[in-house]
Amino acid sequence: MSAPASALPRLQTAAGATLVRGGLAREWRLASRTVRASAVCLALFYLFAALSPVFAPYDPTFQNREMPDCPPMRPHLSAPSQWNQGLLWAYPMRMVDAEERTYAPDRTRRIYIHLLSGGHLFTTDSPTQPFYLMGSDGLGRDLFSRIVYGARVSMCVGLIGVLITFSLGLIVGALSGYVGGMTDNLIMRWSEIEMSLPSFYFLLALAAVIPPGISAAQRFFLIVAIMSFIGWAGLARVIRGMAASVRSLPYVEAARALGGSRWRIITRHVIPSVIGYAVVAATLSIPGFILGESALSLLGLGIQEPTPSWGNLLSQAEDPQNLARYPWILIPGIFIFLAVMSFNFLGDHLRDRLDPGNASR
Amino acid sequence: MVRRIGPIACCAIALWCAGCEVRRPANDRARQQVLYTAIVSDPQTFNPILITDAYSSEILGDVFESLLRINPVTVLPEPGLAEKWEIAPDQKSITFHLRRNVRWFDGQPLTARDVLFTLKVIYDPKVPNSLRPGLLIDGRPLTAQALDDYTVVMRLPRPFAPLLYGMMGIQVIPAHILEPIWKAGNFNHAWGINTPPDRIIGDGAFKLTRYVQNQFVRLTRNGDYWMKDEHGGDLPRLHGKGVQIIPDSNATYLRYLYGQIDIYAPRAEEVLAIREKIKSGQLHGQLKEIGIDTGESFFCFNRNPRHYVKNGVADPRLNWFTDPNFLRAVAHLIDKRAIINLVYHGLAVPAVSDISPENKLFYNPNLKDYDYDPKAAAEIFESAGYHMVNGRRTDPQGHPIEFNLTTATGRPESDQICAIFKQDLENLGIKVNYQPLEFTTLVEKLDATFDWDCVLMGLTGTIDPNEGSNFYRSSGNLHLWNPDQKQPATPWEAEIDHLMDLGAAEMDPAKRVPYYWKIQQILHDQLAVMLTVRRKEYVSWTDSLEFYQPKVWGTYKPEWMQFKVN
Repeated sequence: MSAPASALPRLQTAAGATLVRGGLAREWRLASRTVRASAVCLALFYLFAALSPVFAPYDPTFQNREMPDCPPMRPHLSAPSQWNQGLLWAYPMRMVDAEERTYAPDRTRRIYIHLLSGGHLFTTDSPTQPFYLMGSDGLGRDLFSRIVYGARVSMCVGLIGVLITFSLGLIVGALSGYVGGMTDNLIMRWSEIEMSLPSFYFLLALAAVIPPGISAAQRFFLIVAIMSFIGWAGLARVIRGMAASVRSLPYVEAARALGGSRWRIITRHVIPSVIGYAVVAATLSIPGFILGESALSLLGLGIQEPTPSWGNLLSQAEDPQNLARYPWILIPGIFIFLAVMSFNFLGDHLRDRLDPGNASR
Repeated sequence: MVRRIGPIACCAIALWCAGCEVRRPANDRARQQVLYTAIVSDPQTFNPILITDAYSSEILGDVFESLLRINPVTVLPEPGLAEKWEIAPDQKSITFHLRRNVRWFDGQPLTARDVLFTLKVIYDPKVPNSLRPGLLIDGRPLTAQALDDYTVVMRLPRPFAPLLYGMMGIQVIPAHILEPIWKAGNFNHAWGINTPPDRIIGDGAFKLTRYVQNQFVRLTRNGDYWMKDEHGGDLPRLHGKGVQIIPDSNATYLRYLYGQIDIYAPRAEEVLAIREKIKSGQLHGQLKEIGIDTGESFFCFNRNPRHYVKNGVADPRLNWFTDPNFLRAVAHLIDKRAIINLVYHGLAVPAVSDISPENKLFYNPNLKDYDYDPKAAAEIFESAGYHMVNGRRTDPQGHPIEFNLTTATGRPESDQICAIFKQDLENLGIKVNYQPLEFTTLVEKLDATFDWDCVLMGLTGTIDPNEGSNFYRSSGNLHLWNPDQKQPATPWEAEIDHLMDLGAAEMDPAKRVPYYWKIQQILHDQLAVMLTVRRKEYVSWTDSLEFYQPKVWGTYKPEWMQFKVN
């Protein structure tokens, strides 16, 4: 990755150059409201991922077996005289009917919510006297904590996946397009084979052979690797076409005439000319990874319980019975939706800015 | 990928919406007296001897009769085709007296010849059937003889109590139709599912009239059925049955709500939904708790040396899984109360004994459950030398404890039970790798490669424990923890084998009980299986259906069922 990154300041397209020179403040001013909202959303989700223990009020695997499928609780603002106990409070939930799993707030008591205490953004005295911002799941685990920890998987799957796809696709595509001939032929036929594989079934097959006994983190990286391995071919083909057309441009010819090595020409001249497109394509492919992970986890082949991911959290909502009784288990779906939409808006915006030739407007 | 998640999400939402509103059409089937039910999959055969699947037996149970039937209330044998039977004083022969008024659908009377022919076919090595093992006594067949047209004597090489229960599963077939086919060597192809239904000649309460693959089976009343009600009225009262084939359980549930089927056995969450809908008047039906699961669901640790001993070196896991202290500690970590409340919404009871309390004859009520008690478990671990080292529980030799936990995929209940179990083990520093497996893969591991550590499994129950021989006996293929042993590996397995022999040789049920109580006690003490919970079973049926008496072991007096006519 170091080669294309160091090439960034030398962007050849006019728009790209402005983007880098103008700085973030200028970009913020230029962006539409939707794009700004998307950026804030994504920043928040990545903060969730980076600082999960701070944002999550409880341990995401702690099972409060007395309170399964508890509905979200409503926070109240304390009177100023009680601010020493907590700025916010909520009525604790009491199970009214164990079979029906109906809850009623116990109006005789209050749970005080401590902000910025014990290394958490907000929490209560004990996980057995919990405040469930978004309810609890079927095993009595705090859904909000699980969503926060789930962001680690769901938000990183896109980044890491794109990193692999992007570097593979960019290098292989540029090499293939610039070198041409037999190499080009071999690489392109290989990428065609890869593209002709029915991707989802291939993914299912690969996910099924992951051995048990590996840790959740290892499993996560294996899944990302599998998804990237399927995804790079499409990008490589487009890059290859662009590189092939750049090959005969005067400045590349000049570099060659001056005796530049093949590697130098590819990294310094060919890749920078296609990077604008690649950045846009990469941003727009992140949602694919997020949804892919969700789909695999939904089918039970992705991230395994008890490690949360937005996909496996959503799998609880598969059963129509659960969905009708405990509608809050759909909340992880809202997070997936927001993340995917944000990436798409951001990608569209980047396309307008970086790659005006292909702009949608 | 973007396209694939869509349909799944849409489906779920569409189903949910469909479930919200219940519109039941006016039930005109009631006037026609036709009962609609559902099964999950197509029947595989219409030949009662060749049945291997539950769905064929469900359909053919109405078409063919056995010498004896079970009374689902008392769980005792009661007269079927045989109106009475006598056991000789030496317990080595049983005489069956057949009813004289039973006719096949083609008008021929049912006689002793049919019974003898049925046994002959079952014992024919060229006819592959699952009935034969149950009729072999120490590997030898019984001999049957017709004293006259309506009296059959079966002679046994030694007293064999399970025979009476075995007879309930054997449906008599018509010799006058199938004997020529059998003699010609074509029995294995006779009465397959492609046979025109009117050629299936039975003697039961209903005749097969139509079968459309993947869709439905139609049955019509046998007007000539031998059974009469208290006032001499004809039975069965229903005029017909329609059995729909619906592979998806959510779809079956919705069809029940929409009144397209009349009887449905709901799962725990559905019980609550149905109860609500009945209360609010959306659903005109009955919901009844009929009892608890007759089977069992348990965690089992692999104790098979064929898996753990490689090149003469035993894996430490074999030591843990055969260490009574380790097993006892783990048994104290199964939070049955949490399983009942979290997984089954309170609609289950803790399982203590291997035989269900529904088996009133053989259930041992004197066992004391291993209570959920993480503190006690930790103490047992500590005193047995399993100490915490760097946050991991290690065995006395210093190996950190870690094992794989598996079960069959596709059941959310199993996932949740395993998640609860895993959490409690991990709280005590034991690492558990949970990996559910597809059913066929799992079965292969359990009975061929033995490559597993701990499994959550379910088994169905039988009334006569001897029919669970393949589970109890050390030589059995379902003796999960160490199957197909040539010689019992442990003294307690040898004792179970011996008790099974004694139990089968005693004809008087009361005298058999102590043997099976002892077997339950041994399994409980040795923790070969660690039981979880038993579901409460529910049945819901449409209001207009009368005299329907479902029990866990079957329907009581099914011939009396009928629809109310307004």
